[in-house]
Amino acid sequence: MAPGRIVVSGAGVISSIGAGVEDFERALFQGTSGIRTDGSNGAQVTAADVAGFTPQQWLGNKGIRVLDRSARLLCVATHLALEGQGPARPAEGDDGLGMICGTMFGGLHSIVSFDWSGLTDGPSYVNPMEFPNTVINSPAGQAAIKFKLRGINSTVCAGLASGLYAIHYGAEALRLKRARVLLAGGVEELCEESLLGFRKTEVVSTVGRVRPFSRESDGTVPGEGSALLVLETAETAAARGVTPWARVVGFGCSHDARAISAYDPSAEGATAAMELALESAGVTPEEVGGVIAAAGGNRAGDAMEARALSKVFGQRLARLPVTAPKAALGEAMGASGALAALVGVLALKRGMAPPTAGCEGADYGLSLSRQPVPLEGDFVLVNAVSCDGNNASLVLGPADGGGR
Amino acid sequence: MRRVAITGLGLVTPIGSGWKRFWDGLLAGTSGIAPVTSFDTSAFPVHLGAEVKGFDPAPHLRRRPPESMGRGAQLAVAAAWMALEDSGAELDRYPRRRVGVSMGTTSGEPLFIERYNDIRKANGLDAVPGDMLPKYPCHTIPANIAIEMDLRGPCLMIPTACAAGNYAIGNAFDLLRSGQADLMLAGGADAFSRITYTGFSQLGAIAPERCQPFDKNRRGMVPGEGAAVLVLEPLDAAQARGATVYAEVLGYGLSCDSHHMTAAHPEGDGAVRAMAMAMTESGVGPEAIDYISAHGTGTPTNDRVESIAVKALFQERAARVPISSIKSMLGHTMGAASAIEAAACALAIHTGMIPPTINYQEPDPDCDLDCVPNQARETHPRVVLNNAYAFGGNNASLCLSATERA
Repeated sequence: MAPGRIVVSGAGVISSIGAGVEDFERALFQGTSGIRTDGSNGAQVTAADVAGFTPQQWLGNKGIRVLDRSARLLCVATHLALEGQGPARPAEGDDGLGMICGTMFGGLHSIVSFDWSGLTDGPSYVNPMEFPNTVINSPAGQAAIKFKLRGINSTVCAGLASGLYAIHYGAEALRLKRARVLLAGGVEELCEESLLGFRKTEVVSTVGRVRPFSRESDGTVPGEGSALLVLETAETAAARGVTPWARVVGFGCSHDARAISAYDPSAEGATAAMELALESAGVTPEEVGGVIAAAGGNRAGDAMEARALSKVFGQRLARLPVTAPKAALGEAMGASGALAALVGVLALKRGMAPPTAGCEGADYGLSLSRQPVPLEGDFVLVNAVSCDGNNASLVLGPADGGGR
Repeated sequence: MRRVAITGLGLVTPIGSGWKRFWDGLLAGTSGIAPVTSFDTSAFPVHLGAEVKGFDPAPHLRRRPPESMGRGAQLAVAAAWMALEDSGAELDRYPRRRVGVSMGTTSGEPLFIERYNDIRKANGLDAVPGDMLPKYPCHTIPANIAIEMDLRGPCLMIPTACAAGNYAIGNAFDLLRSGQADLMLAGGADAFSRITYTGFSQLGAIAPERCQPFDKNRRGMVPGEGAAVLVLEPLDAAQARGATVYAEVLGYGLSCDSHHMTAAHPEGDGAVRAMAMAMTESGVGPEAIDYISAHGTGTPTNDRVESIAVKALFQERAARVPISSIKSMLGHTMGAASAIEAAACALAIHTGMIPPTINYQEPDPDCDLDCVPNQARETHPRVVLNNAYAFGGNNASLCLSATERA
């Protein structure tokens, strides 16, 4: 990594367990699950969705009609991230203020509906105003317009690792002075098409529960949401007069290069991603005080991650606090990595690993807890593993960093 | 930070595959634009497209069958193998974790959305096959390249619409110069899609007869498809292994208009900032730029605004800097476009020739630039800019140069 200390000086989030960092943090540390079953549309759907989502509450009514669900989620996260900056909020129209958005699908429902309209009504009856929502970078583009984000604006897709890739992309862009302040994270919507995808690919738990790192687990639960971290250099944060929460210290990634929808039982790539992240951070495994795991109830994926964790941490894994936020948040796809990174930041802020909702103990020689547990070191490792073979890990550390 | 070289070019375009055929075609002013054949356009008011005709993915795939991936990935994997072979880099000499993939796209694999809707209309949702769905997400394009070539390094898609290729190449440049990778395959890919076609048609943006960027009578763009992959590596490593260096990547600039999802900022605000940032990062001023590869879609607005932006930066020199649009020949290949154009920029530096803007008949006072009308030109450019603009107000300019610039 290029030199330069990158800090997290705020965040915005909308999720199945709450909107805004305060509510999210409270629910997270209480071990609240966002998974619920909704029967209002006839079929019973179990998901970690943003129930009763009313974006008007934050965004007002103006200009909201053209935004699809992804854009609305991302705009709410943006609003909350900027609002949380208080008087230090970057001025509107700041050329150095940008966004890096991880996503897997963008506005999937918009894309499908646009084509469906052309197919059933004929191409000349399609509303051209809906065309822009079909590009995958549409949520980030809409947020840029709404919040006058004139700096770099990128969208990053790396499967279930998109959110972590986006945060790394943002950190690098700041180190290279491409931007001054970046909102980096991810967004994913749940819609009828993504729910159908979860069902058809047979990755959903039949009991409607995410049991991370469990040999009995039979699948995941679909999730959605958006999380954005406010990233900048330590110097910029000091100049703006904001107190950083944490520091982005290292990143590593590795692709398995095997299949677009299978996990590698050897766990070589996932191990390499963690090792590379620690190496780039200059942090030893012994200095890691807790892990925010990618585990989301997919047995093969969780077994792979457990194996990699065991290779990296050895005997210490049994005592290392591990949190699996997907037990509460479900599999939020392109947003998962960003949500996990936010969980990591909040863990550092409190010095405690948050509980894993509804889970006590685990298989594979590691343990999850229903209660917050003190971190066992200064740094937190955040993992993302994706069924396409992408593995990414992020190392977060205390904001003051102690000279590192 | 390390200097970064472009050492391999792989192209699958509407005027042919492989950089030699592509480049010969561009210099000869060959058009790849023709009536659309991949779907029925009778319900549309326009009929032109720039398709890659007769593309057979099978010979290009070594590890997995064509049906295991979408057309976007097929085009991309074909371009990736061509680029790697062209570079002469032997993968076995690299730790696989140090070789990565960075791609751009507008729509990823939209043909799976179309098939989903076709099946849904004909037989209902229950008939949608589950095994089709994992092939849809756009990150499967770089993942398929990684799988085909057994590449274990960074692997990502940057779907920043019609500027995506430049973003992806820029990202690869960053990963190399900061030492996070030793070899990167970077570029863009998009498959011809009725979704894209419907959208641009309904915006009234598709040219009815020809694509004629910068011409007074230009009436629009022409949707296309294709892929370009570039091999990037540290310049010292390229020189040490005796590789052909087509060009050096000097830097790039990104910006966002934050103005409108589809329309450019009227003064080209973001376009100016992206070009300026690219030049600043590259350590060159406007006086050093010998050629600009225009975004140049051929829509009335794009070419006017791009001209305004170029004039704002280049001032009195603006009319003397050649700026051409190869979209006049290739149509707008979406997320592949700026990667294909980056390859053309590298070839301009390598061969000394600059490709023309074809179909140019009548000058437009709003576009009073030297658009290299109709004939390729030998100018031996040393430093070039590659412009790309996209939905979402995204702007990306990439600056390439010859390795010796004195």
